[in-house]
Parts: sequence; C-alpha cells; structure tokens
Amino acid sequence: MSSWHTLAHVVADPLPADWRDQLAKRLGQRPRRIGPWAELALYGARLCLDAAQEPALAAGAQMRVASLSGPVSAARTITEQARTGLLMPYAFMQSQPSQILAALSQHLAWQGDARFTLCRDKHAVLQLAQQECGAAGLLIGWVEEDQRTEWWRMVRD
Amino acid sequence: MNEVYLAGRGLASALGPDLGTGLIALSQGGVAPSRFELGGGLAWPLYTIAEHDADWTARARRITQRVAAQSGALAGQRTGPLFVASTSLDIGARENSGDFDGDYQTFAETVAAWLDWCGPVFTVSTACTSGLNALLSARTLIRNGHADHALVLGLELRNRVTVGGFGGMQLLAPTRALPFGEAREGLVLGEAVAALHLSSQTSRWRIAGGANVVNGQDPAGAVPGAVVAMCRQALASSGLEPHDIALIKPQAAGSPVNDATEARALRQVFDPLPALASLKAAIGHTLGAAGAAEVALLTACLETGIWPTFDYAQDASLNAPLADRAPQHVRYVLASILGFGGGHAAIVLEDREA
Repeated sequence: MSSWHTLAHVVADPLPADWRDQLAKRLGQRPRRIGPWAELALYGARLCLDAAQEPALAAGAQMRVASLSGPVSAARTITEQARTGLLMPYAFMQSQPSQILAALSQHLAWQGDARFTLCRDKHAVLQLAQQECGAAGLLIGWVEEDQRTEWWRMVRD
Repeated sequence: MNEVYLAGRGLASALGPDLGTGLIALSQGGVAPSRFELGGGLAWPLYTIAEHDADWTARARRITQRVAAQSGALAGQRTGPLFVASTSLDIGARENSGDFDGDYQTFAETVAAWLDWCGPVFTVSTACTSGLNALLSARTLIRNGHADHALVLGLELRNRVTVGGFGGMQLLAPTRALPFGEAREGLVLGEAVAALHLSSQTSRWRIAGGANVVNGQDPAGAVPGAVVAMCRQALASSGLEPHDIALIKPQAAGSPVNDATEARALRQVFDPLPALASLKAAIGHTLGAAGAAEVALLTACLETGIWPTFDYAQDASLNAPLADRAPQHVRYVLASILGFGGGHAAIVLEDREA
C-alpha cells in the first residue's frame, strides 16, 4: 500500500460572494454554457491547482469529481421543460455530470482520465480514486451546488 | 494483482427481457424501434423494453431484479461493490412525481435495496461511457484484492428528459439508426438494463485492460486525438499491440460526424482495421447503460455465432465495413463507447476459449 502526499487542499465553504467574479478573472473570461455546479467545480479545481503551484494539471494525472447534490438546479429545470416537450439543449447538457468533466478538461487545457464517481462514504471514493491512479497523481473534488467546493491535489510519495 | 473475469451477465433490451430471448430476436432480424411521444406533437424513435407498467419505479425494480439475477450475482454473497451506471438515474420517476427529495446517490442505494445488496454502492455518471467506466472501476477493486466479486449495473429507462434533451440537441435520427451507414442521420436511443458480474474466479472472458480519456474540446462529440489515445492506452494496459485485436466494437451510433471521426481515428491506430461490430442498430444507443449492455450482448453473440445483420448501405468512404457475420477465433476484442461530455472509454476482453 503506497502512501500519498497532499500537494494542496482548498475548501470554499461558505462560498465568497464574488466567487464567480474571481473565477472569471482567473480564467480571463466567464465560462460559457456551463451550469452553476460545473462553474463551482471549476472555481475549486483552479484554486487547488494554483495552491499546488501548478499552472496546468499534469498529463497522466487523474481527475475525480463527486457530489451529493449533483447538478440539481439544471435537473429541476429540464424536468419542468420536459412537461411541455421542449427542452433547451444547454439546460439538458448542464444536467449531466459529464459536462463538469468536459468543462474542467477544456478550461484546464488537459486531456485524461476524468470521472464522476460517487459513494456515500467519502473515504471509499478517495480509496477507489487512489487505486486507479498513476504516478502523476490525482485531482479530486467534492462539489455541492450553491454550497461548497473542496479539492485535493495528491501524489504518491 | 488478481485477474478479473466476467462471471455472468444479464440484459433486458428492446430485443427481449433476457439475453436468450434477445439472441433469438437478433437471429430473426431484430426489432424495430417504437415511437416515443413527447407531447406538443414531438415524437422520436426509441428502442423500448416491451414491458409495460405506468409505475416507472415498479417497472425499474422488476427489470433490475430480473437482470441482476440473470447475471448470477444474486446467487452468492452480495458483499462486493455495486456500481450503478446511468445518465438518467431515476429522472423518469421524478419527472412524473415532481419529487426531488433525496440526493444524487439515492437511486443507486435504492437499487441496492431492491437487490438486498450489502456491499459498497457507487454511482458512476460519465454520460455514455458510464457503463465502461463502472466496469473499469470494478476491475480495479478486484484486481487490487479489495473485492473478489462486483456487480456492474447499467440502467437507462424511459423518460421524457433524455429523449427531449437529445432531440433538442438535434442528435436524433427521425426513423432508425444506421451505424456507419451511408444515409445515417443520427442516434436512436434505447432502453436497457444490463448486469455484468465480475469475479476473480477464472471464467471464459477476461477483462484484460481498458482506458478512459476525457477531452472537452467538443462537449457534444468525439475528439480524434482522444480516440487514438484511448485505443493506445487500452492496448498498453492490456499488454497488447494493435495487431492482437481481432474485433472492434466501436461507438458507431449512426451520427454523421462522430461515426466519421471515429472511423478515421481507429484507422490511425489499427492498420489494417480488424473486423468491426455494431449493436446499436439492434438495441439503440442505451447511453449510460451502453457499455455494460453492449459487452453483455457482444460476448453472447461471439459465443453463439448469432450476429446482427444490416439491411442498409454502409458508408464506403469511412473505409470501415461492419462484419456481416461473426468472425472466427476472436481472442482479443476492443469495445469502446464515446460520449457527449468528451468521454472516450474502451475495454479489452480476452476470450480464453478462442
């Protein structure tokens, strides 16, 4: 069993009132077409990489995202839209956890193994992620919409 | 490191309530999709499981219990990890009830309760690659000795949100799916519940390796470089070279752009291309269940020699013809799924009896 070293750990809870502005400033643009949950993930992931002094996530690193809330506001929106038979494409895409992975890949200019994997037991999520991980380590976050975003950048010792 | 094997499988799809019935239907030319009415005059083709019950939850429970039992996973201890792979989870029930109590893990835990499953429960939701990613995670836990068995369930059951969402993105074909077809116009979605029972005990099909590559350049489509990386990483993790692969089951969903992107990328890795198989004209694109459903059906097809037939012209410009009969002596198979959200996932299977 290998041991792990945490390069950075950030948590935003409660969220700063201007977190969206902070993110836009850091990225140099406002993220487009992603929902509030994905935007919050991006905010936390970017903070974490900055704290680890990594301008970009290393190629070969793995990314995992978990959340009990999921993209709940988008899910409510599309369910309402579905009652009328008309769904807005971006609302549907924002209801999918996969879009958080696409947004992180796009804005971190990174390609690799990223997954949304959830278990009630946070330790089980971390343990599985660490087992799936190679030498370049792991970026893992828990993101609860409108509430908090918490991220770790970890590598094997 | 333990080796990981497919100990059992189950599948309910448009072809039938179980794999045996499904293979018979496939041998007789398959089934046609039905029409799914969204309201407001909108309707799309959908491959549906022919089991009618107005109560979404009761139907889901009945189908899931039956398919899990087919896989053999319920006959032994139910203490290994359970992975529930889905894009829509229980949205079909929620859109009817308007009830948003519970959280994102609630449905997977409900499924575990349906099965009296006592092991750790995971939700995997990475769009169309969910089933294969769940399979890769289950493999990891068995391989590293943290479990000796696991159950992967892919579930995608009828709901207006998914059909409406894909319709809104203009990704659906108006009548039928034509994977790698000359006249392909888009996807046709399908319902499926699939169960893959994995074990460290030796059996015919070994899960040799696999890979998952996300590239968000195109959140709704495949990225050629990511397809190439996926194939190369899946081969490397299996200790294989491209020429070892005798059969590829690509995504091949019938999308005009994605099918061409995928075929072009596959040709970059595999020269010449091995035999190709597509199952989406038989069961539709079953989204988060697709990885598990297509592995279940493909391995059954290879064991029996029953093979999907195609009554449409394939796109010669793709230079990637689908096999019209079961290839012989297939030892290594690469099965891939590409998904919206930039997901590209593949596994490599070894038939130890080939």
